[in-house]
Amino acid sequence: MDGSVVPALVALGIASFACRASGFFLMRYAPRSARLDRTLEAMPLCVMLGIVAPAAVRGSVPELVGIAAAGLAMALSGRDLVSALAGVAAVAAARLVVSA
Amino acid sequence: MAPPSRAGSDGAVTFTLRGVRSGFLQGQALAPGVVLYGVAFGALAAQVPLSTLESLLMSALVFSGSAQLAALETLSRGAALATVVAAVLVMNARYVLYGAALRPWMGRLPWWQTYPSLYVLGDANWALSLNRHAAGLNDAGFVLGTGLATFLPWIGGTLAGRVAGGLVPDPQRVGLDFMLVAFSTTLLVGSWSGRKHLAPAAAAVLVAVALDRAGQPGWAIVGAGLAGGLVAALRSGPA
Repeated sequence: MDGSVVPALVALGIASFACRASGFFLMRYAPRSARLDRTLEAMPLCVMLGIVAPAAVRGSVPELVGIAAAGLAMALSGRDLVSALAGVAAVAAARLVVSA
Repeated sequence: MAPPSRAGSDGAVTFTLRGVRSGFLQGQALAPGVVLYGVAFGALAAQVPLSTLESLLMSALVFSGSAQLAALETLSRGAALATVVAAVLVMNARYVLYGAALRPWMGRLPWWQTYPSLYVLGDANWALSLNRHAAGLNDAGFVLGTGLATFLPWIGGTLAGRVAGGLVPDPQRVGLDFMLVAFSTTLLVGSWSGRKHLAPAAAAVLVAVALDRAGQPGWAIVGAGLAGGLVAALRSGPA
């Protein structure tokens, strides 16, 4: 890499911000409707599933243990961030056991 | 007829320093995972090699783990700039959906509050913010606060990894690579409200698993959001 890498980094930054800003910006021109609201409201849950489902299906044992632990902790405590850390701890412990 | 909105979807939207602070504090639970991921990125950037300043610049400008790793990979192969930009666009395509989903909440706020918040948008802080919004939070400062709670550790982690990569534990060994999956699981359990979610969820799972199997993990999230959103839109009648 020579000095020319900085303009490249700026170009990457512009591309990245374009992704973050464009959806928000374009929705300005979408007429609001109950249908659109339903779509947007469904999105977080579906994105979460898009993150969890492939990990669950690929399913090595430690990841499955972690998903179960996080879900169970949440069902019991109702505290999402703390329960997520419990899932992280469960994964780390399960990986230790599996690799031992 | 419009369905009754969930709590938080209506009412006065604000953007206060208090909201920023509250988001920043709640977001601290996300910070350890981000730091270690940043360290992993910094260590890899050292091998390309990017200088410390260039590594920090990339983290501050791109602020996306998956996109930066893809960019490093294409850069180290000596690819053309257009190829590197394309890699970043593919990895960050999901942010287009994330931003769109924030419009009903943040659409009335002035640009100098919304666009800085979008600049630091990430998976976990977006999900956390919309989860709190659905539960009644209207102060959109929370989005910026949680974003900063992940942005700053990302910069700090990059610096640590670039100058002392080998000294920090591998995220995988301490399980923190799993944070986003674990957090998504808890949000799923917490926000699931029965039958009305079933059809969109089924569509999301099918599409995500199919795309992941096809070797497109980056598109799995986008596909899940689009498929689920589409099914939710097609459903007629009151929610």
